[in-house]
Amino acid sequence: MAAEIKDQKTENIFPSAPTKTYQLMELVRGTSPMANKGPDNTVFSFPVVALIEVLLLLGTTLLVFVFSLLRNAPLEDIANPTVTTNPAKAPWYFVGLQELLEHMHPLVAGVLIPSVLVLFLVVIPYLDNDRTGAGRWFTSQRGRRITLLSAIYAVIVMPLLIVLDNTFNLREMLRGVAPELISQIILPGLIITLAAWLPMLILLRWKPTMREVILCLFTVMFVSAIVLTLSGFLFRGPGFKLYLPWAMPGGYNPLSGL
Amino acid sequence: MESTFNRATNFVTRSRVWRSFFRHGMPDNEMDRSLVMTTNIFFHLHPVKVNRRSLRVTYSFGLGIISAILFLTLTVTGVLLMFYYVPATTLAYSTMKDLQTTIPLGQLARNMHRWSAHLMVLAVILHMVRVFYTGAYKPPREFNWLVGVVLLLLTLGASFTGYLLPWDQLSYWAITVGTNIASYAPVLGSTARSILLGGSEVGQNTLIRFYALHVIIIPLGLILLISLHLWRVRKDGGLAGQEIPEERLEIASLKE
Repeated sequence: MAAEIKDQKTENIFPSAPTKTYQLMELVRGTSPMANKGPDNTVFSFPVVALIEVLLLLGTTLLVFVFSLLRNAPLEDIANPTVTTNPAKAPWYFVGLQELLEHMHPLVAGVLIPSVLVLFLVVIPYLDNDRTGAGRWFTSQRGRRITLLSAIYAVIVMPLLIVLDNTFNLREMLRGVAPELISQIILPGLIITLAAWLPMLILLRWKPTMREVILCLFTVMFVSAIVLTLSGFLFRGPGFKLYLPWAMPGGYNPLSGL
Repeated sequence: MESTFNRATNFVTRSRVWRSFFRHGMPDNEMDRSLVMTTNIFFHLHPVKVNRRSLRVTYSFGLGIISAILFLTLTVTGVLLMFYYVPATTLAYSTMKDLQTTIPLGQLARNMHRWSAHLMVLAVILHMVRVFYTGAYKPPREFNWLVGVVLLLLTLGASFTGYLLPWDQLSYWAITVGTNIASYAPVLGSTARSILLGGSEVGQNTLIRFYALHVIIIPLGLILLISLHLWRVRKDGGLAGQEIPEERLEIASLKE
């Protein structure tokens, strides 16, 4: 009986085929990482993957369905080109750019920065082509630490820059003193570049791999995008001025813009 | 003795009609489980066998599949809305009102379309972030990462063009603000904006352009690139998460 089970197991792991020119001679007990897992630790896609996908389909649809029963899509008054809404906001995924527009020339905020970010995304796999650690979250413990520290940095520095520029408006202070090219394009561009690169410049002292440099840059970019989006979406009220989301004047509800 | 149920099942599954539909038997054995995958157009995007490691929830969080599911939901609810919606500045808003008040389940269809759209943008962004942090863009998957970046931009485009269609104050001014940003690009900026809007400001030309982009051009682009994206996942060897053998992971964590 035991032998039969053992044979069945052998057959499952290494199916015999008449065309094979080699043969399994014996199974031995040992500490190979593949013990009891079969040759490649795989399962048949049917039904496991099919079931997972059906469950995800049902779960996602149910979530959207229930939320749709609870909350209606917004519909304001009919479009009127002569009456501007106050505030007038872009859709939430572009409101981060709108927030940037408050702080620098539209050429930098609306064109240069988005282009550079998309270009950065495009070149990531060509800058970092070392396959080590592919498929592993943050590649290593060091990578995890770099990500965490970069995220903390951006969470602190980005809101600080927003509030600072909102209080001491750089563009207004330099109006008439320096030409527009300097006060609106070069200076804010330098500040935002330095703010985004500072963690990377510090990291360079520790001889990072290319993956670690990109982890740092991507994290600063991603977290800054979140901060700017939240600031534009939740903290900007009438006149696109900064308010606390729960203390908006005129009963403006930032969530109504979804 | 065979039960009546078994006999009935056998009668159906052994009939010539059934066998002309399905080129495999009951998938309760390895042979037929393989055939299910290779003979079915929907399943053939999957490999016959998958590595257990790539199925871990905490590896992928299913975000790519969720994005595709939301695209499906958006297609279904979007087609339903198309039966009523008219892309004319004089009619668009009143059809939105009709959807909310008189058309059976119109409000529900519109709600599901809108919330799915927001959720899809979010899911696609999170999917990209997941792929980045797991290093799944590394060779040989560079090209599929590029396809993913284009898919992200198309998703944003689909959402942005749809945003105008209700033709209410929210949509009108959001599109005005959004397209103003584009006009600051040197040389091409204002030209690009005029082509997009079909004039100097948001109007009837804009509505019909955004409608055509929203219901046919961008969705076709998405379908094409999603197919390429999924096909490349398989061609590049499945999810990157399966590539590191367990023992190397353990050694790596011991070192640290």
